[in-house]
Amino acid sequence: MIYMIEDTINGILMGSIYGLTALGLTIIFGVLKVINFAHGSLLMVGMYAAYWAVALTGLHPYLTLVLVVPVMFVFGYYLQDIVIQPIFRAEKNVREPITVIIVTTGVWYILDNLTLLVFGPHYRTIQVNPLRGRMLEIGGLMISVPKLWGFVSAMVAAAAVYVFLQRTRMGRAIRATSLDRDAASLMGINPYKVYNVAFGIGTATAGIAAVTLVPFYNVFPTVGVLFDIKGFIIVVLGGLGSIGGAILGGIIIGLIESVGPQFMTATWTEAIVYGLFLLVLFVKPAGLFGVKYDW
Amino acid sequence: MKILDVREMTKTFGGLTAVDGLGIEIETGQILGLIGPNGAGKSTAFNCIAGVFPPTGGEIYFNGEKINGVKPWTLCRKGLERTFQIVKPFASKSVLYNVMVGAFAVTDKTAEAEAEALAVLKSLHFESRKDVRAGNLTIADRKRLEIARALATRPKILLLDEVMAGLRPAEVDEMVAIIKELRDRGITIFVIEHIMRAIMALSDRIVVIHFGRKIAEGTPDAVASDENVIKAYLGEEYVVS
Amino acid sequence: MKPEKINRIALVLLSAAALGLPLVVRSATYLHILVLLYFYAYLTTCWNLVGGFAGVLPLGHAAFVGIGAYTSTILSLQYGVSPWLGMIVGGLLAAGVGILIGLPTFKLRGAYFALATIAFSEGLRVMVENIDRLGPFTINGPRGLQIPPLDTGLTNFMFAGKEPYYYSILVMLAGVLFLTYRISRSKLGYALNAGGEEPEAAMALGIDVARTKLIAMALSSFLTALAGTFYAQFTLYIHPKSIISLDLSFEIAFIALIGGRGSIAGPVLGALLLRPVSDFSRIYFGDTLPGMHLIIFGVVLILVMNFQPRGLQEPLTRLYQKVVNRLFHWGALEAAR
Ligand SMILES: Nc1ncnc2c1ncn2[C@@H]1O[C@H](COP(=O)(O)OP(=O)(O)OP(=O)(O)O)[C@@H](O)[C@H]1O
Ligand SMILES: [Mg+2]
Repeated sequence: MIYMIEDTINGILMGSIYGLTALGLTIIFGVLKVINFAHGSLLMVGMYAAYWAVALTGLHPYLTLVLVVPVMFVFGYYLQDIVIQPIFRAEKNVREPITVIIVTTGVWYILDNLTLLVFGPHYRTIQVNPLRGRMLEIGGLMISVPKLWGFVSAMVAAAAVYVFLQRTRMGRAIRATSLDRDAASLMGINPYKVYNVAFGIGTATAGIAAVTLVPFYNVFPTVGVLFDIKGFIIVVLGGLGSIGGAILGGIIIGLIESVGPQFMTATWTEAIVYGLFLLVLFVKPAGLFGVKYDW
Repeated sequence: MKILDVREMTKTFGGLTAVDGLGIEIETGQILGLIGPNGAGKSTAFNCIAGVFPPTGGEIYFNGEKINGVKPWTLCRKGLERTFQIVKPFASKSVLYNVMVGAFAVTDKTAEAEAEALAVLKSLHFESRKDVRAGNLTIADRKRLEIARALATRPKILLLDEVMAGLRPAEVDEMVAIIKELRDRGITIFVIEHIMRAIMALSDRIVVIHFGRKIAEGTPDAVASDENVIKAYLGEEYVVS
Repeated sequence: MKPEKINRIALVLLSAAALGLPLVVRSATYLHILVLLYFYAYLTTCWNLVGGFAGVLPLGHAAFVGIGAYTSTILSLQYGVSPWLGMIVGGLLAAGVGILIGLPTFKLRGAYFALATIAFSEGLRVMVENIDRLGPFTINGPRGLQIPPLDTGLTNFMFAGKEPYYYSILVMLAGVLFLTYRISRSKLGYALNAGGEEPEAAMALGIDVARTKLIAMALSSFLTALAGTFYAQFTLYIHPKSIISLDLSFEIAFIALIGGRGSIAGPVLGALLLRPVSDFSRIYFGDTLPGMHLIIFGVVLILVMNFQPRGLQEPLTRLYQKVVNRLFHWGALEAAR
């Protein structure tokens, strides 16, 4: 019984981190209407950034946020501005920007394999790690401290993005563009600028996720692929474009992964996740929570 | 005989009632004009009739058959065809290709579709442009392409949504002549238009809607002098070109 | 000479070259590379039926390759069914799956279809990796299936040398290219192109867009699965990681987009240009610069999408047409003299 509770808590914590990794995916889709296949790779870049920040400066892992998040924002901003935007413009009249989707796949391949070339295939873990294996004991329950912090940062990040979109001028411009790009541009909003910012924000949230992962997760060139596919599933479960849905979708996946192995071999839980995804696509494509866009 | 009979048709989007209890009847072979200020619900009415979405309430009869919620491709095969206010050419394809897509609604053979498409292009004095990529056409030619494609499906009734918007006066005259010719070929025409001169010259009868509701109906002259219509348009900048 | 005649001559020359190539290329390694090149060209041409004509983005075609390979292999290893028959069974199975994926997703935004294909393909891989036996069938999990090279011969779809495989895949490629050509000039082809480009206009013109996409998807999955059987018979060893891999699915899509999706020559052209890049970079940089070819793919993809969104097929076709016109005029001048 105690294991069951522990697994449940662990599933929620890890799941919220999954949700955090998918948050940027859902933001970018909400605005650009494009699945960013490079999102996992952006997470990977963030993890390398956090790793090297710790290794070179000896900072506390969480303090690297002040470095990683701005760097990731700028990286995402210019990635969209320089690489993706021209293709958007070329495909302006096309309803489904397939070429844009596939170009993000190209970015994925380039980032992953460049990292492989530069840093090699090794698994890296940070050496100066005050959080390694830290556990919190509550009434016999063992809870991982870095995952708990991951949960907290997921909630804070999701709330912050939500408030930003609701309350700020830029946030409103982003929402307007998301609803109707053409109408927004008639009202004097430059949609491409908005795309840049949305991409930057999405990438920055991947940076936050990266920082929370680095204390307890290996860093290697293809680490993003794991989270990529999970992210796709999460955003569809939660409803493409929904912020709350991303976090909830993440928690569902986390729960299946951590509670599932009590009843079956761990790899089967993976198959269940795919099955659930296809099931949702069949019966409730707007996502489990039925929200199309909550902003 | 009534080819189209719309009764008490209503369409709501969330809280907004775009079409409100609209009734419209069209006799076979007529040209019926539909006018109204911007956002009056004209295109929405077309979309309901043409099966883009089902109306929220009311009934639509086409040749006596109820067609609420019938899909656009089925309606097309039955002979009810429409054009789009915002033209939707298959931009990467040639004009001929575009029209052949329509012609395939009446034949399965490529050679026949091509012959049919060429005949339609010819009847619209458009065959010289058959190899031009549709994305490179001028706005007037795009509108004409929109009509050509629709004609190739051999419609009984044709719903035209602002096919003259953005055209120069000479082009408008040409379009009026084309539409009259279509009617003479036996095609019933249901036309939305902002250009008053054109709609007055074309229509046998005109229906005026405002906020989704019918406010007047009758011959062009009767409608033009109707008090309600003048009120609805007051302050509206409609084109009197 | 008339341009049509020049085209026909070019086609004949090209076919003759393809048929005669094994007489010149004697090295087994190079023949192997050529077979894989045609294999990819075949897969991409199948992909193009949905990804090109129907205007959606399938990213899990490896699943159909896997279904084809596993079906025919299991049937022939465990039940003595000829791979040729197994090939058809696999194809039908794949077509059914393709329809199942398309049914709910073709009505939604394109992203859903793309994601569904990925999820199905990855889900299938995970399942195959986890299943040793499925009812009466031995699947062998991650270890995969080995086909013992017993009786060679056409009935067993198994040959000692590479040449018969070369001709098999060449015939398959020619067949699927011809089919694509016929479809592109048929009602179905027009409907697919129209529905892919402007679905609302297509619907108004009498096209049930979702249904035509389903037809294309079924056809594409069926044909793709046939190549799976070919691959199994060619390599005599299949395992889930190599055959139901996302890398394969993505490589197909890359080849199509760089070559030019929605055109007939595009997929073949893409394979001709990209396969050598990946083969040679694997041979020469495999140890020193791993993943080099994927970086090249990515960069080429981004550049091509930027400057030739319709793929390299377009400028090359234009060039070819120019040459043909030259020949035509030159021929006319000669005749006049
Ligand atoms: N799909 C939709 N969803 C929500 N609201 C819609 C939709 N389509 C139209 N509307 C709204 O319904 C109302 C009627 O629009 P409609 O396009 O029918 O007007 P119209 O008479 O054709 O105007 P115009 O002359 O400008 O073309 C408008 O307020 C519009 O914003
Ligand atoms: Mg309108």
